Amino acid sequence: MKVFVFPRWTNKIRQFAGAALGGAPIYLTAFVWYGFSPKTTDVGYQPKQPVPYSHALHAGELGIDCRYCHNTVDQSSHAAIPPTETCMNCHRLVRKDSPKLLPIRESHATGTPVEWVKVHNLPDYVFFNHSAHVTRGVGCVSCHGRVDRMAEVQQQETLSMGWCLDCHRAPERHLRPPAEVTNMNWTAPGDPVAYGAQLREQGSINPPTHCSTCHR
Amino acid sequence: MKTRPKYWRSLAELEGDPEFQEYVEREFRSPTEQEELSAPGRRRFMQLMGASFALSACYPQEKLAPHAKRTDGAVPGVPRHFATVMDVAGAATGLLVKSFDGRPIKVEGNPKDPQSGGGTGPLQQAAVLGLYDPDRSRQVVQGNTPSTYKQYAAALLAAYAAAKRNAGAGFAVLSQGSSSPTLTALRDKLLAELPDAKWVAYEALDAVGTREGAKLAFGQPVTTLLSPELADVLVALDSDLLSTQLPGGVGYSRALASRRDVEAGPMSRLYAFETTVTELGSIADHRVTVRPSSVLPILSYLDAKVSAAKSEAGGQAAPAADVLGGAAVTAVLDAAVQDLLASAGKGLVTVGSHHGPEAHALAHRLNVILGNARATRVGDAPVAPPKKDEKLPTLPVSYLEPAAALTGGADELAGLVAEMEGGRVNALLILGANPAYDAPVDVDFAGALGKVKETFHLGLYRDETAALCSWHAPEAHFLESWGDARSLDGSVRIAQPLIEPLLGGKSAIEVLAQLLGMPKTDGDALVRETHGLDSEKAWRKAIHDGGLFKKAKSVVPELRGLSAVAAPQVSGLELVFEPSPSLFDGRYANNAWLQELPHPLSKLCWGNAALVSPATAREHGIKDGYLATVAVDGRSLAIPALIAPGQADGVIVVSLGYGRKSAGVVGGYTTGDAEVVGSDTYRLRTAKAPFFAAGASIATTGPRQDLAITQDLWAIDAIGKSGQKAREDILVRESTLSAYKKHPDAIEHAVHHPKLLNLWTGPVSYDGHKWGLAIDLNKCTGCGTCMVACQAENNIPVVGRHEVARGREMTWIRVERYYKGDENAATVRQQPVMCQHCENAPCEQVCPVGATMHSPEGLNDMVYNRCIGTRYCSNNCPYKVRRFNYRNYNLETIGMTPYTPTTEPKAKLKAMVFNPDVTVRGRGVMEKCTFCVQRIQGVKISAKNEKRPIKDGDIQMACEQACPSAAMVFGDLNDKKSRVAAANDVPRGYELLQELNNRPRVNYLARISNPHPDLAPAESTDAHHSAHGPAPGTKTHDVHSEH
Repeated sequence: MKVFVFPRWTNKIRQFAGAALGGAPIYLTAFVWYGFSPKTTDVGYQPKQPVPYSHALHAGELGIDCRYCHNTVDQSSHAAIPPTETCMNCHRLVRKDSPKLLPIRESHATGTPVEWVKVHNLPDYVFFNHSAHVTRGVGCVSCHGRVDRMAEVQQQETLSMGWCLDCHRAPERHLRPPAEVTNMNWTAPGDPVAYGAQLREQGSINPPTHCSTCHR
Repeated sequence: MKTRPKYWRSLAELEGDPEFQEYVEREFRSPTEQEELSAPGRRRFMQLMGASFALSACYPQEKLAPHAKRTDGAVPGVPRHFATVMDVAGAATGLLVKSFDGRPIKVEGNPKDPQSGGGTGPLQQAAVLGLYDPDRSRQVVQGNTPSTYKQYAAALLAAYAAAKRNAGAGFAVLSQGSSSPTLTALRDKLLAELPDAKWVAYEALDAVGTREGAKLAFGQPVTTLLSPELADVLVALDSDLLSTQLPGGVGYSRALASRRDVEAGPMSRLYAFETTVTELGSIADHRVTVRPSSVLPILSYLDAKVSAAKSEAGGQAAPAADVLGGAAVTAVLDAAVQDLLASAGKGLVTVGSHHGPEAHALAHRLNVILGNARATRVGDAPVAPPKKDEKLPTLPVSYLEPAAALTGGADELAGLVAEMEGGRVNALLILGANPAYDAPVDVDFAGALGKVKETFHLGLYRDETAALCSWHAPEAHFLESWGDARSLDGSVRIAQPLIEPLLGGKSAIEVLAQLLGMPKTDGDALVRETHGLDSEKAWRKAIHDGGLFKKAKSVVPELRGLSAVAAPQVSGLELVFEPSPSLFDGRYANNAWLQELPHPLSKLCWGNAALVSPATAREHGIKDGYLATVAVDGRSLAIPALIAPGQADGVIVVSLGYGRKSAGVVGGYTTGDAEVVGSDTYRLRTAKAPFFAAGASIATTGPRQDLAITQDLWAIDAIGKSGQKAREDILVRESTLSAYKKHPDAIEHAVHHPKLLNLWTGPVSYDGHKWGLAIDLNKCTGCGTCMVACQAENNIPVVGRHEVARGREMTWIRVERYYKGDENAATVRQQPVMCQHCENAPCEQVCPVGATMHSPEGLNDMVYNRCIGTRYCSNNCPYKVRRFNYRNYNLETIGMTPYTPTTEPKAKLKAMVFNPDVTVRGRGVMEKCTFCVQRIQGVKISAKNEKRPIKDGDIQMACEQACPSAAMVFGDLNDKKSRVAAANDVPRGYELLQELNNRPRVNYLARISNPHPDLAPAESTDAHHSAHGPAPGTKTHDVHSEH
């Protein structure tokens, strides 16, 4: 009977096995740490929308205020995607025959919603409230980035819990007068931290950091 | 003999029953022990849910679907509230329903409602689950063939037109009881068009005695409106005054509770003579158990004594003491008479609605001759109407002109059935009623239905009756339709729809209006026309407020003489049929929240039982929890028996409303292979004896039943038990008014412990808000409304009978029942227990992953996403208020979770009930009361947005808001003017297990009774206090050192 003999080159495996076993935990840790981090998985998320709506055009070039469309942002937890009617306020007249706007016109005619894809998607156990942030003077840009330069919206920040807490622990850098929240180009007069501290004092802004602030 | 504890939780515990021991040991079975998925005992909700769920991708792409056109004034994500009304068999409760993005998700009482005062009952709280019940009928059917509403209406109209040629002969309508003015007006219109047609209203629990009693006493129908807040003395005979299922009950609870506040003013004195434990009886100062047949003799006795004292002619002869129930009863009765006479004009005698006309007439007579009600006597000149500015003092009892309503009971139904059997009914329209299930057993409605040529059913479900009808059409739920109702005081409530009919139903008024060929058949037009609200402004105001709050005119009736009433002659056991405290007459059998709401006395859910007192059980050899056979009048029924201390001897009490065979997946559905829940006690109920039947018998005939009783859950083993025994007396604390006044600190000092020190400084300072809750045990009636409200607010899953029986129920509040005293004359104490939000929380100290943390406002936060399910916290919680998701209950019952979406339409319908402000928990996660943290955060955010301070009362917990007797108060302990801070300063306040140094944030206000001085118990707390006076020089009683 023929006995199977390992070929000679397999002897080398033994030499590398030790190094591989030693390296595996490091590799795996690094893989999970970076591979599963919201920085890798979430930042840059840019789903395709049913209508190629460009924030760069509307908010940037045309300078429409964020709240023209997201008008519930200071009253509700949702900033709210605008109803089709808001689009049609202008597009009844402007580019009314554009094929790209067909879904909008259809929605307006039939009353069926346009199904936009959610970009900034928090886990279901997190309760974020837009009004609580916007009325205190946290600018849109702080979390959403330069939306006025995005042709297609993409996620800019990690939206991870650590990222939330960074600001809740030291909100000064992200505070501005509530009237300026939608101004993408706003910069603090002087030292932003000192200015933020002043605003914080005035508005008695004390962001809580306990669990039930966001988890209910 | 072992010394028996003063308080005890259950009979098995009191007697050291070996099976109870076994039960206790079972608690410690292997945590991984699970039934096979295919095991027959597994929760049968799975049946329906089927295989529609598959785990989709880890990160499903979420879609956002904004309105094409947003409703005016609607802000997505901000709930809106709309006033409406729920009419249950003629009992109307004004509601304010919370609508979240178009979905009604939570029912609250309408605080503007002058009658209910903003309270609710379990039926109202559970209404939203009924709205999203996928078992509701969604298809018009002719026989078993799907049809359309158009064809249904055409066939109905043809039958109507045929009847019209004979002045309506052969046409009949069978409706439920209702207070709706519009429906009543349509009935009148139909009868005007078809004079020979028949309209019968049938309610299984029709309070015929109340109506006929007023006629007997005054010769005219009157509505009796009570003002318990004006009564210094209240004598209740088998009274269901505080039942939230009956007209006025919610308002009465609030009114009565206002006089049970020790701090607010003089307390009233409550005497309850009753068969089983009622809401009123559980807060009474004197509670005496009597058989139902003794109620009439007791009234005769009261009448004899009061008439003699007031020198009124026509009093009844006083029956002998043994007829009344012995010397113990007469002693209390004499005290009651003395009190009633002493507070003439400020007293109240009330009888349960299920008692007969004579009992009600006697109560009326007593109230009139005591000056508690205004009435003339025979021969008096009629009372001139009061002058314009003249204001007559309000008395505890007022009589009002009765409003037209649809009422009727067994007699009316029997009349209709006789017509049907005689072949004199060709077409029958059934509006909602379900007599094929709830008719008396000797009225063969189902059989008679076969003799009717065409039968049209309109109902929420394709129930027992619908299945026998030739046509069935789905009815719209009250939250989907326009309507109206009348409160007990005769004022009008308007119901507005919160949502379009989800399953395409029509309301009864719309169907009738179409049948009658009215020009306008829309519900809103009909309601508007009934009330003459032509101006848009008046109409809008009425809808906004929830009604037109104009009371009916008061009347001064003439008191007639009463002939001598004979005490009923009874032999054998008396069988009492009570409406199920949760399912009412059975129409809510398919509501899982109500099925899982424990019975206030037996704490049994998912079923009913025959309750007998310990002495009666011994006499008849009844074993607790074993299958028994109850027989009466030649009919018998197998039903589990439970021994219920606190109930009268010689009485069997059974709940109606169970044993539905065609209710749905929850309540039982024989053709759909869903387990029938409970026993159908209607099979023992005859038209002659709808509430009480004499000559009953009971015998144990079967094995021990696996009953879902919540009280013995969390019982502990022998080691813990000795400690528990020692503690039971300090968990429920009580005193009498006089003892409390003498020694206010005796309540606190019921437990002795050294000064409580902390090993470390607290992690938080509580210098912002400091939330706390106070529960007044003087007001809590144990009705369970808080439990359902909590379930609705916090997305708490239903677990089903088998899981409850294994101690896995999920309700965040439980209402603990304690018996007090000797088992043969036990009284009941009810105590709601939820997470105590300890400042020094034992659960927080053992969580290995920091899933339960302390907030700087004193909340014990639960972080679901961190929880890994070790259950250490639950193990370390001395209150046993933490609940663990052993299964993925929401996936199983709703068919979806946020991670497993589904396109199954039934599942999607069920999921609409979820409160979007609260996380839906999954398997393996611990949960517990959060003090409704979503409400706290909501108010905090909006207050800060609007730059206003939070006022006391802005934040209401779900349980607090729902409570009909306003027994709970939530607020900020740092706000010295808040009601909860005031309650914290009251000496009768105590914390559960405060000696453990947990520093709970729930403050219980001890029960202070106000007994008659002659009957007051020996002041034991007093003696206890003086016997343990503080040792000189030391301060051993420093209980509240941290306050």
